[in-house]
Amino acid sequence: MTALATLQLLLFFGLLLLLTKPLGAYMARVFAGEKTLLHRALGGLERATYRLLGVDPEEDMKWTSYALAMLVFSLATLIFTYGALRLQGVLPLNPQGFGAKQMPADLAFNTAVSFTTNTNWQAYSPEVTVSYFSNMVALAIHNWASAAVGIAIAIALTRGFARKSASGIGNFWADVVRGTLYMLLPLCLVGAVIFLAMGVPQSFEPYSTVTTLEGGKQTIAFGAVASQEIIKQLGTNGGGIFNANSAHPFENPSPLSNFFTLVLIWSIPAAITHTFGKMVGNAKQGWALFGAMAALAIAGVVICTSAEQAGTPHLAAAHIDTAASALQAGGNMEGKEVRFGIASSALFATVTTGASCGAVNAMHDSFTPLGGLVPLFNMLTGEVIFGGVGAGLYGMLMFAILAVFIAGLMVGRTPEYIGKKIEKFEVQMAMLATLVLAASVLGFAALSSTIDLPKEGFWASLNTWLGSAYGAADTVYGAATGNLNNAGAHGFGEIFYAYASGTGNNGSAFAGITANTPWYNVTIGLAMLIGRFLMIIPLLAMAGALAKKGHVPASSGTFPTDTPTFAGLLVGVVLIVGALTYFPGLALGPVVEHFQMQALATH
Amino acid sequence: MTDLVYVAICVGFFAVAIAYTYGCQKLLGGSHD
Repeated sequence: MTALATLQLLLFFGLLLLLTKPLGAYMARVFAGEKTLLHRALGGLERATYRLLGVDPEEDMKWTSYALAMLVFSLATLIFTYGALRLQGVLPLNPQGFGAKQMPADLAFNTAVSFTTNTNWQAYSPEVTVSYFSNMVALAIHNWASAAVGIAIAIALTRGFARKSASGIGNFWADVVRGTLYMLLPLCLVGAVIFLAMGVPQSFEPYSTVTTLEGGKQTIAFGAVASQEIIKQLGTNGGGIFNANSAHPFENPSPLSNFFTLVLIWSIPAAITHTFGKMVGNAKQGWALFGAMAALAIAGVVICTSAEQAGTPHLAAAHIDTAASALQAGGNMEGKEVRFGIASSALFATVTTGASCGAVNAMHDSFTPLGGLVPLFNMLTGEVIFGGVGAGLYGMLMFAILAVFIAGLMVGRTPEYIGKKIEKFEVQMAMLATLVLAASVLGFAALSSTIDLPKEGFWASLNTWLGSAYGAADTVYGAATGNLNNAGAHGFGEIFYAYASGTGNNGSAFAGITANTPWYNVTIGLAMLIGRFLMIIPLLAMAGALAKKGHVPASSGTFPTDTPTFAGLLVGVVLIVGALTYFPGLALGPVVEHFQMQALATH
Repeated sequence: MTDLVYVAICVGFFAVAIAYTYGCQKLLGGSHD
C-alpha cells in the first residue's frame, strides 16, 4: 500500500469512529420512542402517518406479527413498483418517452425485486431504460423503505436480547416510520445539499445533445441525481442513475465526493453497533461487534489495495511501468477511474461489498484475481463487514450466536450471549439463515454454470412468452455460455459473483456478464428474494425466542462477549464459515485465475 | 398475461415465506412449550 492509501484508510476509519457513538446513541433514543429535537418538527407527520396506515404504534407485536407485517409491506410495495415500471410510458416525468419496450416483464420483475430487497442489482442501463418518474418514485420509494425495513429488523433482534420475559419485539410500523422520519429524512436532506455543493446535478430537463470537439453528437443524460444519490449511499442501496454508477462524474464528481460517499455507506451500519450496545445496556458489547467488523474491513482493504497496486505479470512482461509516482497511480488501472486511482477504487470496492450497497466507482471485473476475491468474499460472508443498514448488524449477530455456540462446545457449557441462554432453537435459526444463503448462491451458480439451454425450443419460446425485449434474430438465451464475456475461471467468477451479489442483496456486478436475459432476470430475482426474506424470518424467530427468556446472571463460567478475545473469535467464525462454505467456488474462480495469471496464461 | 405470471411468482414467493414463518414458529413451539 502507498502512503496515501494508508493515510486515506486511517482518515476514513477515524471519521467512522467519531460518527459511531453520537449517531448510534441518537438511533437508540429514536427506536426507544424517546423524544428528540426533531420530534417537534416531525412528530405531527409521524402521528399522521400512523393514522393514515391505521396502526397503533404502541402495539407490541409478537415476532410472527412483526414478520407478517414486514412481508405484507414488502409485497405491496414490490407489486406497486412492478406496475409503475411496466406503465412508465403513460406516467408523468418521462421526457425521453421510455415505455414498456425498454422495461419488459422479466426485467421489471428483476428490477422491482432488486429494489424491494435493498439489492439494487441493475440488469439495465438506467439512462436509456427508466423515466424520471420510475427513478424518483417507483425505485426511490424502496431506497427509503428497504433501508428502513433493514434497520427495523436489526432493532427487533436487538430487543430480543434486551428484553426479559417479553412476548413482543416491538412494532414494525413504528420502527419503519421512525427510522425513515427521524434518521433517513434529516440525514438525506443535509447530504443532498452537500452533494449539490459538490457539483452533483438535480434537474428534470430532457437530456442535452451537444456537439463534441471532433464534431460528433453526444447525448448527455442527467436527472434528479443529488436527491437520489444521497439515499442510494446512506441507505446502502447502490442503484445508480447512470450505468457507470459512482464512476460517473455526475454521481461522484471528485475524490472529495468519493470520500464523502464512503463515509455515508458505512455511517449507519457502524453506528448501529453502538445502538445495539446502548439498547442491551452494555456499550462494550457494541464495540466488540464494531471491532470484529473493523478487523475484517481493514484486512480486506489491505489485501485488495495491495493486489491492485502490485499490478499483473502481463503488465510487467510488456515492460510497462506500474510503480506508483506523482504522475500515475501505478498498478492495475484497468477498469478504474483515473480521478480515483488504485487506493480509492480498492477502498470503495471493499466498503461497497462489506456493506450491502453495491455502488461501484470501478469495474470489479477488471480487478486482479485476488483484488476481485475481496469484494466477492465480503459478499459471501453475508455482508457483515459493517454490512447493509441493519442487515450488517443482524447478520453479525447471527455469527455471534454461532461463535458462542462453538465456544460453548469447546468448554462444555450452555452458551450465553448478552445474558441469554443460547439453546437449540437459536442455533437452528442461525444455521437455517446461513444455509439458505449458501444454498441460493451455490445452487444458482452451479445451475447457471452447467445448463446450456438450446437456441431453439423451450427457452427460446419462453423468451417470447415472458415478454423479453429481444427479437427472434438476436435472442439472448440460455445461461452461462451464451452470455459471458470471458471463458474459464474468470467466466465462472462472473456467474458466482452475480449470485453472491443477488443473494447477499449487494447489487454490484462483476460486469462481464449479460444479465438482462430471462434466465438471469428470473433466477437472480429469486436469489434476491431468498437472500432477503428467508434470512430475515429465522432471525426474527430468534428475536421472539430470546425476548421470551429471562436474563441469566453472569458467573465464573460465562464467556465474556464484550472483549477483544470474543471479537477475535467472531472474526474467526466469519472467516471459517465463509471459507468452508464457499471455498470450492472460490477455488474454481479467483484462486485458479490467480495461478493462471501468475503463469501468464490468458484463461 | 406475461405480467400476471410475474405477479404470480411474487405472490407465490411471499406465500412460501409466510408458510416458512409458520414453520419456524412451529419449531419454536416444539422447542419451548
